[in-house]
Amino acid sequence: MKNILTIMSKEFARFFGDRRMIMMTIMPAILIYAIYSFMGPAMHSAFAPDADHTPRIYAVNAPESIGQSIEQYIQTRVIGINESGIEEAKEKINSKQADLLMIFPIGFDDAALAYDVHTADSPAPNITIYYNSTEPNSQNAFRVALHLLDAYESSLANKFDINRNIENNGDMASTEDFMANIVASMLPMMLLIFLYSGCMGLALESITGEKERGTLATLLVSPLKRRELAIGKILSLAVLSFLAGAVTAAATILSLPNLMGSGGEAGDLFDANITEIYNITDYALLAFVILSVLLLLVAMISIVSAFSKTVKEAGQAAAPLMILVMVAGISGMFGTGQPDTVYFMLPLYGSVQSMGGIFSREYSSLNVIIACLFNLLYAGLGGFVLTKMFNSEKVMFSR
Amino acid sequence: MQKRMKVILKAEGLCKTFKLSQKQQKLQNTKQKTITAVDNLSFEAYESEIYGLLGPNGAGKTTALRMLATLIKPDKGDAFIDGLSIKTEPEKVRAKIGFLTSELKLEDFFTPNYLYDFFAKIHHIDQNIAEARKRELFSKFGIDEFAEVKVANLSTGMKQKTSLVISIVHDPNIIIFDEPTNGLDVLTARVVTDFLTELKAQGKTIIVSTHIFSLVEKLCDRAGIIIDGKMIVCDTIENLTADKPLEDIFFDIYAKTAEEKEGGLR
Repeated sequence: MKNILTIMSKEFARFFGDRRMIMMTIMPAILIYAIYSFMGPAMHSAFAPDADHTPRIYAVNAPESIGQSIEQYIQTRVIGINESGIEEAKEKINSKQADLLMIFPIGFDDAALAYDVHTADSPAPNITIYYNSTEPNSQNAFRVALHLLDAYESSLANKFDINRNIENNGDMASTEDFMANIVASMLPMMLLIFLYSGCMGLALESITGEKERGTLATLLVSPLKRRELAIGKILSLAVLSFLAGAVTAAATILSLPNLMGSGGEAGDLFDANITEIYNITDYALLAFVILSVLLLLVAMISIVSAFSKTVKEAGQAAAPLMILVMVAGISGMFGTGQPDTVYFMLPLYGSVQSMGGIFSREYSSLNVIIACLFNLLYAGLGGFVLTKMFNSEKVMFSR
Repeated sequence: MQKRMKVILKAEGLCKTFKLSQKQQKLQNTKQKTITAVDNLSFEAYESEIYGLLGPNGAGKTTALRMLATLIKPDKGDAFIDGLSIKTEPEKVRAKIGFLTSELKLEDFFTPNYLYDFFAKIHHIDQNIAEARKRELFSKFGIDEFAEVKVANLSTGMKQKTSLVISIVHDPNIIIFDEPTNGLDVLTARVVTDFLTELKAQGKTIIVSTHIFSLVEKLCDRAGIIIDGKMIVCDTIENLTADKPLEDIFFDIYAKTAEEKEGGLR
């Protein structure tokens, strides 16, 4: 036990004493925060219509009723033009000086009212609308026009309504539920990947790196038990990977509102108080899942690292492991309900399902605990294998 | 007189073969799938003597010492260090010996001071005793001048001195040094050889491997000459050098072995 602590304290001294290593670990977090925070507003300003913009809308033969409702809706006057001005208006839309051109047939109101789909032998009256999809203001004006025209069309032959004056259009899902759903589908994969990538660089350095540089051999001729070395390495890597993963996760969570655009619908979602969504049992089980799956990941990566002769080789060897982690993570996004208990015994998959279950607040504690215990079992097996590997001269000293 | 001395290290028929890769087979123009590095090696070392393993490069000296230090396991045979088998009780053996070889490196990131403390803890040395020993050894080898410099920034000699001190952090009774003066300048080499003599005076047993004849003549009480993994001669330096200098003896033996090998091939 004392030896395990000695090994751990050396690993921590190695990590925290090396500014370069700390930087390399928190760099992804800083980058994620910076990129998301920059990308979000940039994307919104690129694709969102300008709030102060007064749309310039041209119309040929516009019926008064439609002209008025457009003017009401977007606070602008529709400019009536003749057919001779069509080309000029199109030119202006093309060069982004105008936003919309609507061409109505003459006597549109009457024609539309008289039109009966069952008796008519000619096609319905047609409105032509020109707009520019690369200009957000024009795109927005087009959308408004479509909406108003749709509403106008249904008002002409109103047989029934759906959800008139019903709050939220009848969607009974609470903001919390909606939030929980999004989180449940995305977060397990993200957490798994954060933990994995946090662990990856550290384990390669701590195991393959030491092996390659011959410093592991120095430990191997000391009376230190191989088991103590394996446990010390796994535990210290787990603590450090947890910190690294936590920093990256924090950066992502903090920058998500920026990415989604604060103030909008998504921004409101993130304002939903998370503490109200999950209770203390949820948190405790989640912590248990994260810690146990972390030990499993560390054990897996440590074994790959110990097998590899060079850090470069270990990087390549770890790629298939990364794919496994991704596949397990993605399985959480397509989960349909909760699988049978036996699936919770599968490494990684069981943990993803557990986390998904906890996040969506639909889980059986028994299944989650089974997943955690199996994680610990697999991690223990991993530790045993690593001990054997430290004992094997083929693995440690073959060139 | 030697009969009365206590045998502290006993190697019995140590054998070690390594697999040859196909590339290596081609390179050496052979169809053999394995190469015998150490072939039925037996010898004894007595308490408080310096025993030299002498041989050309590739003779199997380092492999033999690595087996004694429990870093690798023999295919056949066994060795007993202070009565402990290297095969069945490697952990206990490791606590008894100090092993120095170029293959064992110190982490570049840490300072000699940190590494000394770390290995003292791994060996469960009482902190006060470890501190006192550190002061003594660091001042003897001049390590106190660079005790807080990272290993990465040390010269070869400084690194070797640090490695040496750390290999005996637990004050072992049996010390196995593989080519301890390799790559050192004459001054540093002298510090090391003087220290070996000093350790012997303290009653410690030292096994050194080397290909430097003068070192063996000057330092060792007894020596064994290894060629192609086999122990060819093993005797006291006095007996070995009764007629000729050790270097001449070695060449005679080497020529004879080569002849026998050729004869065998024919």
